[in-house]
Formats: sequence, C-alpha cells, structure tokens
Amino acid sequence: MLRGARGLQLDLKTIEALAPDQASLGAAAKLTKRSNWPRLEAHEQLPLIWGECQGSGSNPYRVAFDTSDHGYKCTCPSRKFPCKHILALAWIGATTPDSFARVDQTPDWVNDWLGRRRKPGQPPAQAPARAEGKSIDEASRPQEAAPVEDAAAAERREAAQRKRAEDTRSAVSAALDELDQWIADQLRLGLAGFVDASSERCRRIAARLVDLKATALAGRIDELPARLMALRSEERPDAAIRELGKLVLLAKAWRAAPDDAELKRLVSTSETRDQILTNPDAVQVESDWEVLGEKIETRRDGLVSHATWLLDLGSPIPRFALLLDFFPASAGRRSAAFAPGDRFKARLVFYPSGNPLRALVAERLGDVAPGAWPSFAMDAAGDPLAAYTAFQDGAPWLADCPVILPAGAIALDEREGAWWQAANDPHGIALPVAGSVSQTLLGLDLTATAAVWNGARLELLASQSNIGRLDLS
Amino acid sequence: MNEHDQAGLARLRDGWISGGAAFELAPAEWKEVAAASNADEQERRLLAIAAQALDVALRPAAPKTLKRRPPLPVLALPMLPERLRPLLRAALKYAADMRLKTRVAALVASRGFVLHPMDWMPTATDQESPDIYAPWIDWQAGADSEKQSRREHLTAETWDDFYPAARRSALVDLRRSTPALARTLIETKGASEPAEVRLALIELMRFGLSADDVPFLKSLSADRSGKVRDMAGRLLARLGEHGNPTEGGSEDPIAELAAFIEEGKSGFIRRRTTYAPIKPKSQAQQARRADLFASCYFGDLVVRFGKTEPDFIGAWQFGVDDGADLFLVRMIAVSGSDAAVACLADLLVAAGGRLALLVLQLMLRLDGGRMRALIRQILNDAQNLAALNLVEGAEAGWLEWGDLANGKTLSALRAAVSGDNDVTKRNTEQYLETIGFLASAATAEKLIGDIVAAGLPPASPSLSLLRLNAALTENQSAR
Repeated sequence: MLRGARGLQLDLKTIEALAPDQASLGAAAKLTKRSNWPRLEAHEQLPLIWGECQGSGSNPYRVAFDTSDHGYKCTCPSRKFPCKHILALAWIGATTPDSFARVDQTPDWVNDWLGRRRKPGQPPAQAPARAEGKSIDEASRPQEAAPVEDAAAAERREAAQRKRAEDTRSAVSAALDELDQWIADQLRLGLAGFVDASSERCRRIAARLVDLKATALAGRIDELPARLMALRSEERPDAAIRELGKLVLLAKAWRAAPDDAELKRLVSTSETRDQILTNPDAVQVESDWEVLGEKIETRRDGLVSHATWLLDLGSPIPRFALLLDFFPASAGRRSAAFAPGDRFKARLVFYPSGNPLRALVAERLGDVAPGAWPSFAMDAAGDPLAAYTAFQDGAPWLADCPVILPAGAIALDEREGAWWQAANDPHGIALPVAGSVSQTLLGLDLTATAAVWNGARLELLASQSNIGRLDLS
Repeated sequence: MNEHDQAGLARLRDGWISGGAAFELAPAEWKEVAAASNADEQERRLLAIAAQALDVALRPAAPKTLKRRPPLPVLALPMLPERLRPLLRAALKYAADMRLKTRVAALVASRGFVLHPMDWMPTATDQESPDIYAPWIDWQAGADSEKQSRREHLTAETWDDFYPAARRSALVDLRRSTPALARTLIETKGASEPAEVRLALIELMRFGLSADDVPFLKSLSADRSGKVRDMAGRLLARLGEHGNPTEGGSEDPIAELAAFIEEGKSGFIRRRTTYAPIKPKSQAQQARRADLFASCYFGDLVVRFGKTEPDFIGAWQFGVDDGADLFLVRMIAVSGSDAAVACLADLLVAAGGRLALLVLQLMLRLDGGRMRALIRQILNDAQNLAALNLVEGAEAGWLEWGDLANGKTLSALRAAVSGDNDVTKRNTEQYLETIGFLASAATAEKLIGDIVAAGLPPASPSLSLLRLNAALTENQSAR
C-alpha cells in the first residue's frame, strides 16, 4: 500500500473501482510484472507515482498517477480510461511500493501533465460505488492451464497454420502481379498523367493490395502521392520514376525470397514486439543513444506514424535506430515518450534486416549527460551521401536513409527554398531541405547535421553548431 | 554516371512522361540487362535501373544563386547554459506575447546571459529588448555582420558602419556619458536622414537632457517635419523653455486651459492656494479640455498661475475629477521638467491607492529608484496588483522577500491559490509571472516554496519564470 506525503491510501479496492471493466483489470494484472517497467518512481513529498511501461509499441508508454485524487495520464492510444497501464502502475503502488525509486523531482513530462490538469473539485469516487461486476481477485487468479492438446489436434492446428501461410503467400503473390501490371499501365499511360492523378490511382491499387493481404505495401503506395506533391512540379516525374522503380525492385526481391523477414515486413505485415524480442537472430546493441528528433505524420489510411530517430553515441561511424509506432488518428494526440536531445543508455533490439534500422527499446539503463556528438568518420571523397549510396546497395527498395552530414550551412535559393551545403564543398553538391527553415539557422555554422535523405529532400533532425545543439525536427 | 547514360536516362524520362514503350530509347547496356520476353517486363526492369541511377549515380547540383545569410553576430554575453534551457523554454512558452517574452530575455540578460537564438530572437524592429541584442536586431534587419564587427566607437566617420539598433544603443550610451558628443552627431548626421529617422534620433535627446541642448533644440523649430518640431518643443518645455507653438496667436490656448482650473484657498491658519478642475458643462467642453491638456506645455500653464512647477503640483486637488488628474499627469509626463516629474511621482506614491497608479503615466521619465518605490507601493497595498503588468521599463531581479512579505501581497497570493475562485487564481498566475521578472533569485526561490505550500501545484506553468529566475543564481560559464 502506497501513501504519498499528502495523499490518500492507495489500495486494491480503489483500483478495482477505477477500472472501466473486468477485462482491463485482467490486462493490468499481466502488466504488474516488474520486468515490464524499466522505470518506476514515486515523489518523496507529493502524492505522485509514475513510470515507463513497455507496451506493444517501440516507445515505452509514460504513465503517471496522482494517488491523492486518482488523476492519471498515459501516453498509450487506448480508449479505455483509465487504461491497463494506469491500473497496473497503481496496482504495483498498492502491492509492492518498494518497487518505486523515491525521488524529489518530477520529470518534465510529469510536470507538463501536472501543469495542464485541473484538480477535480470533488474527492475521488468511493471505491465500492463503481466496483460492481469487477473483481481484482479474479483478475489476479492465474489463468487456467490450457487443456492438453492431443497429437492429432496439434497436427491439424499446424496444418491449418501452414495452409493460412500458403494462402497469404499466394494472395501476396497475386497482389504483386497486380502491382506489376499497374506499374506497366502507368508507364504506358504516361507519368505526366500519373503525377496529376496519382491520388486516385494510388488509392485504387492500394485498396486492391489490402484485399490481397499486401497491407504494408498498400500503406506505402497510399503515401506516394503525398511524397510527390511535397516536391516542385518539375521534380515530380523523376520522383515518380524513383518511387515506382523501387516498387518493382521490392516485388522482385519478395518473389526471390518470400520468407525473408524484412521483405515480408515491407510487403505484408510486421512482426510483433514479442517476436522481435525473442528472435535470437535480432541484432542487439547496448550503447548510449541520443534522441535526434521525431516525425509524426497522419497517413491516408487513418493511422498516425510516429518515428523517433536515435543516434548511437558509442559507434565510430554514424549508426542510427528508428523507433516506429503506429496508432489510429482517432485516438487523438499522443504525448511523445522522448524529447529531442534526450540521452540515455539502453539496449536496443533491431528488426532483422540487411541494414538494421528499425528497433525496439528492450531495456533502458539510465540517463546520459548532454554533450557534443562524437567525431564520426566521414566519407574520404567528401560525398555527403556516401552512406546513402551504401544503404541503397543493401536495400534499393527503401527510400529514407538517415545520414550525418559534415560541416556545412543552410542557404536559400531564388525561390526561398532551403539547401544544405558543405562548408568545403569539392563537388558543387547541395542538398535541398524539406519544408521551411528558421531564419536564424541561415546565420549559423553547422559543424555536423543529422538528417533523413529520401532521395529528393533532406528532413533535418538536429545539428551541432558553434552555439551547441540545434533541434531541427 | 557518364554522359552517354545521362542522355539515355533523359530520353527514357521523356518517353515515360508522355507514355508508351521507351525500351528502344535506353542505353545499349541498360537494354541488355533489361531484356525480357515480355514488353511490360522490359519496361519495368528499365524503370528499376533508372530509379537506381537517379538515386545513387546523380547528386543534386547546387543552384548558382544560392545565398547565405551573414553569420549571426556573437553577442557580448555568454549563452545561457544548456541545462537551463528547458526552464527558459518553459518560461517563454508561458509568456503570452512578444512583450512578455522580451521580459524573459531582459531577466536573463540582467544575470549575465543571452538566450539561444533558436529559443528566442528579437525582431528586426524590436526596440524593447536589452541593448545587448542590438547586433541580432540589426542582423534580422539584414545587416552585414562583417561591417558590424569593423566598428568600435560611434563617430561621424563610423556612423554608416552602425546599423539602426546598434546606432541607437550607442547613441543612448553616448548621451549618458558625453551628451555633447552625441548631440553633435545627431545634429550633423541626422540632418540628412529622413523625417522618421530624424524623429527617432531627436527622441534620444531625452537621455541626459540639459540646458546645453537648448540651442540645438531651438534650431529644430525650423525643421521640415511637424513631428520633429513637436518633439523638440516638448524637450525644450522640459528644460523650462516656454513658448507654446500657438501662444501669442489670436486665441490663447493657455488662457483657455487655465479657465478650466479654479484657484482657491484652503486651511484656517496657514491659508494656501489650491487648484481644482472645474467640471466641464458639456461633452464638447470636456473634449476641448482634453485637447488643451494634450497640446499645451506644463511650464506655460504654471507660469500663467505664477507658480513654480512643484508648487502647482502640490496645490492641485487630486481626486476631484479623475479625468482632469489623468490629463494633468500626462501633460507633466510629456512636458514637465525632471523636477516636476519627481515631485509628482513622490506625491502620488505617497498618496497610495488609485492615485499611485497614475504614476504609470510617468514610467518613461522615472528613475530606477522611483520606479521601485511605485512597485513597492503597489505590492504593499495589494489592491491593484494588475498594475504591475503596466510598469514598463522596470529593472529585473531586485525585489526582496520583505517587499512581498511586509505588505499584503504575499497573503493575497496565498489566499488566491488556496481558494476556489478560478478568476482570482488566473489573475494570481499572471502576478506570479510578473514577480518572476522583478524578484531576486533568493526571493523567487522562497516564493515558489511559499506559494506551493499554499496549494499551487508545483508544476504550474505560472511558476516557470520564477523557477528560471531562481535557477539563475550564479553566473556560471559552464555549458
């Protein structure tokens, strides 16, 4: 039982009353294992507990609970209030309060929440009033062991699985046949027309691909018009060639190796978090990481993609990790788990890939002091996109590649478009920057810049400069 | 990619843009790789090759007209340490408008730091920021920082090396240290400037204004700009040089204004003269009286009654007509002598209550000591804490704990945060922000503890400036 300095007692009856339904209590019970919580803290004076819970996404969910008035906040997209993470946090507080490290300062994200919330005028609801139909005892009870399966049943189940896998593979193969035909049609009809009508045409083929279980590929094609429209009109035909050409390559690669994990992820569905964490082939890297920046986009399929880019501070060459989450746009704005510039020690598990990039935080091992980036080895020939070229050798069907650019600066062209240019540029190369940039940035010398190059534009993430770190995402 | 391949790629691109088979347009080597029995398949293979060629074999070329901004000038103070930037950003986020954000910058500058330019930048027309930011203001306005770095002292020779904000800052410094030199510069270089710039330069004469400036100011009576002539006239009036522009005409505005003021006597033993406003009989009279107060000079009015400026102020019956009080105070702010302003400010602050708030009209002419006295008075009775927000030009970081605790302010703040009235709470949050600017670091720290103990959530954003203030205790250079 946890008692804050100025709070009420936190007991299981209260948690039972708070739970929206019995299912939430059951789900919360499974999350009360200490291993699910890389961080659990309680304020020494205030009636506040908070923690980070490893949910199904790549970013941990940040959970805070006010033990005095039962106010709560969680960054998960659940539509149940409170969600299972809140209930689990309170549950741990009620049963094993020693799990919480006592601290005298609240982290910024808790401060943000505290600053925004209004305390309720009424005291918290009395526990018995809302506890009907829910039982914490029942939720705590271990699930009954599954009946022992006989050999014949196991064989039937495995056969069914094989059949499903075979069906999926056939469906995806058919999807790629349709995609091939569709691409050939676009070339026959002309890319000028394709660029103009890309929204409608892409939507149509994407819908077909969803029907044929090529869901990931459908999502990518759905986003293609937006990628084209972000460019100047004269650039769009080249961009269309690049995008459609990559799709051809991806389809061919999948046909050659339909069981390849990376290709399956790009064409049909991704592995679950548990599958990645238990995959012995998944690369694991324990290092110091810096949050370079994040990119949050609402996609046409109604999902919000939340990409958080990390830089490995312990690697002699630039190495990155991408924490990628998707959640429904209808779930509303979600608080970020990390802030640009945050540094922490962690063990990351990478999704299997020729160029391991997408990752999960398996274990967070504490914060790291701020500082400058290490001096990474750069391309000897002075090509700022050498890393991109190497990346394309391994995965020519991918578009976005993180890079560390050498010393340079941002300049403007006649149409006020921003370009990154190397300080001592031997090749006359300048890379166009996506979107608009702060005017202040135009007067700063950038000693190194982290960005994502997508073949046409640089998405700036962060820079080191003569006046320290710059957040640019 | 060689020229041959580039030409082939260009042909393919043109072919695909217009549509139809493009296989025959490809370079021979590409055709060899892409050859297939199916025409569609050939096109797709070529498309894949072209995509890769575009991705890895070509690099975007820099446009010829790429322009860089001059390097952002380095300011004379160190940048705020990195560890304090989250607190600063919280304070800037809470500051609702440009004026309040500038106040955050002023607090930080008073502790010996400048802000990170990605956190806050003054605008090109900013005149409220601390002087330390003048090079950034000029940079925003397109100044060449190389030229800026060449200049050292403002002289007639280096005049053109200074951009407006830096020149203004240098002239203010010069007026305070060697006013005659600054006057000579304004006189010689200002003459060729447009009226708007001339007006801004003459306005700077208010710093270190003295009798030595009279001949120059009188010479401005022939200036082409009416606004410049008015400004010079007001400055002369402050120096006791009478001569309302309309005086001596067919209608005498001073006499007309004097007719709105009634001379009387008060006291039984020591009879003394009093001046009280006569209530206007109509809207038209009321408007006329307002115009006259706004256009006449205070020096001319007191001469009309045969009094000195301080004597007239002492004899004025404040509280009879709030409107007339306000007009008179504004008149003194514009054209009263320094002695008259000081006398009036002392009198009003001593009176306290609503009358003390009239001193807000004098802010631009008050010295630091009187400004602090006004703020202390507002804090002491805690009846008009909202007026704290109207105190312009106050210094940052001097308010001591006793200034809050000895009066009624602290108890009022405590009562507001522990009470249930949301409006009072919101107002209190604004006062906390203002006190966050005025308070010393020790006061800020103590106030946070006190007000949190009274019930304000410790993470309330309204505490952000106080928290920044409290954290700016020592002038660390470590980032």
